[in-house]
Amino acid sequence: MTLGEAVREALAEEMRRDSRVFICGEDIAEAGTVFKVLTGLVDEFGKERVLDTPISEAGFTGIAVGAAMTGMRPVVDIMFGDFSTLVMDQMVNQAAKVRYMSGGKCKVPMVMRATLGASRRSAAQHSQSLHAWFAHIPGLKVVLPSTPYDAKGLMKTAIRDDNPVVFFEDKMMYKLKGPVPAEDYTIPFGVADIKRVGTDITIIATSSMVQVALDAAKMLEEFDISAEVIDPRTVWPLDEKTLIESAKKTSRVIVVDEGYERYGVTAEIASVIAEGAFFSLEAPVKRIGAMHVPIPFSPPLEDATIPTERQVFGAAKALCG
Amino acid sequence: MPALEMAQETGKIVSWLKKEGDAINKGAPLLEVETDKAVVEVEATADGVLAGVKSHEGDVVPVGVTIAWIVAPGEKPPADSPAAAPAARKVTEQPPQAASMPAPISVESSARREGGPQISPKARRLAKEKGVDINRIKGTGPDGTITGEDVLAAAAAPAAAAPSARAPSVLSGIARLMAERTTQSWTQVPHFVLTREIDVAALQQAREKLGPAIERDRGVKITVTDLLVALAAQVLKKHPKMNASWGANGIQLNPQINISVAMAVTDAVVGAVIPNADAAALADIAVQRRNLTERARSSRLKPADVTGGTFTISNLGMYKIDSFNAIIAPPQAAILAVGRIADRVVAVNGRPAVRPMMTLTLSSDHRVVDGAQAALFLNDLAEAIRAPEL
Repeated sequence: MTLGEAVREALAEEMRRDSRVFICGEDIAEAGTVFKVLTGLVDEFGKERVLDTPISEAGFTGIAVGAAMTGMRPVVDIMFGDFSTLVMDQMVNQAAKVRYMSGGKCKVPMVMRATLGASRRSAAQHSQSLHAWFAHIPGLKVVLPSTPYDAKGLMKTAIRDDNPVVFFEDKMMYKLKGPVPAEDYTIPFGVADIKRVGTDITIIATSSMVQVALDAAKMLEEFDISAEVIDPRTVWPLDEKTLIESAKKTSRVIVVDEGYERYGVTAEIASVIAEGAFFSLEAPVKRIGAMHVPIPFSPPLEDATIPTERQVFGAAKALCG
Repeated sequence: MPALEMAQETGKIVSWLKKEGDAINKGAPLLEVETDKAVVEVEATADGVLAGVKSHEGDVVPVGVTIAWIVAPGEKPPADSPAAAPAARKVTEQPPQAASMPAPISVESSARREGGPQISPKARRLAKEKGVDINRIKGTGPDGTITGEDVLAAAAAPAAAAPSARAPSVLSGIARLMAERTTQSWTQVPHFVLTREIDVAALQQAREKLGPAIERDRGVKITVTDLLVALAAQVLKKHPKMNASWGANGIQLNPQINISVAMAVTDAVVGAVIPNADAAALADIAVQRRNLTERARSSRLKPADVTGGTFTISNLGMYKIDSFNAIIAPPQAAILAVGRIADRVVAVNGRPAVRPMMTLTLSSDHRVVDGAQAALFLNDLAEAIRAPEL
């Protein structure tokens, strides 16, 4: 099953299980989104539960916040994560705050789905990875699946969560295939997954960077460097314990994330490692993120701005000496 | 941490003579520092109040690193100023607007590389836990960084050599220096050894004759070593090659005759120097030797006390040693090993007689002198001892 199909299956199963779940967004009904992730859902659940909206992100996200406060469990579809800019007031000042400011009387059980990732030749306004913005805000949970199995299990947990969850899918990963069990399952937030066990260096990676890290680990194997690859799966809540334990075990850490390196997810995780495992480290924690430039439209330039397995491999070799 | 010697890299703080908050007068003793060669009292360089003491007794601190501040009364030491080398401090002292300027990425990354640690945090922790001296470890990590594995290897090495022995104590700087220098000398200097038995009756008479007056005038009892220093210095004037050094350019004759006297200090031996011994009166030699002995016993020798020697005398007579071979202290060319004075039956004018005898053993560097030259020197010295002109 592909990652796109896993997301669709999770949504469909949750909509069958719970009639309060509905989806709203642009081009999601007959079009099934521009990435074809939701194809067929409108046929089963109808246009009231798979709700096409005008180009009005702030508006339909506001509708979802209100619907969630009054008992529904909406899933908002933000076509490109870059459009997060338009929904920030609804997500940051409303969704993230309502439960706190109402003294717990109102809750906001909604999911905001969005895409991230470059290398689709979509230029500067459709290629960014802005998940760190949401992870910065108390009251929002941020999920970044890297496999079809994780995507389905985490999406179900997100929909069943009573608080707002932001769910980022890498648009280049929708065709990624992987095993997904037929039975109902969920994956708890705040539990990292060790994608590959190793002893010499820990590579912490998110979303599509997990595959980059695994490819780098394979290259490192030929140089007798055993790399451990860990996917936090949710950047908030963050499974600090697993990350620190791995750092203590291997003594060397690289953090890879497709968001901007500066003030990004890599910075936060590097800081967690430095505080939790400093006296077990053989080398400074190395961060690898997107270059601090608008993502270029030119294919060679775009490819140069985002982390690659060669880059991770080179950094790992330098750290291991 | 002040540099007290030319090639000094670190200093160990033996004790602070002033406490945090004490008033300090310029020139007054502030702390005691142990270098590879000696313990030195460091004087305050300014008036003020001692504050922000960062390094404590027992700490080994690189030269140039801030160990404390002398501030004006009421003034506070710079907050959280890192114990940084001068180069690093210079960076923090740059005007703030320079720091906030966006730097090109290439400059930023190269700066990060240069500032990288020479020892990893893990290695530092392990070294502390295992009691390993990090100054003795060679790093195998990137850019020579000491890694945890290096520390574990260093910790395991002596244990493997002597599994039943007690945990080895960390060598003091002076013991380490002795180990290095003697190994270097024994393995690199081609030693040869000449021995001479000498009747010292006349020497003992000279000591009895000159001793009381010197003790009365100068308050010091002259010793056999004092007499040998005075006599050897005179004889060396006629044998400049015995007083020479072996260096990069071959044999270098020394303009001065500075006699090193081997002295035991805690867990090592040092050569305490009596400079220009050929020009010094016996009484002056005795006073200098006595002062050096007292400083050596209390570990208060200054760097100047142990540098510049051109010929060494080592006397183990007081330990009842008949004779021994000594190791040359490079770059010196020779060392004279002095055994005890003991009554022995010897032939005098064809008849057995009991005489006070002493064995001198001269170790020489064959790169500087040959056997005949050294033998001539030893013969002249023996003649001088048999008929001392003091």
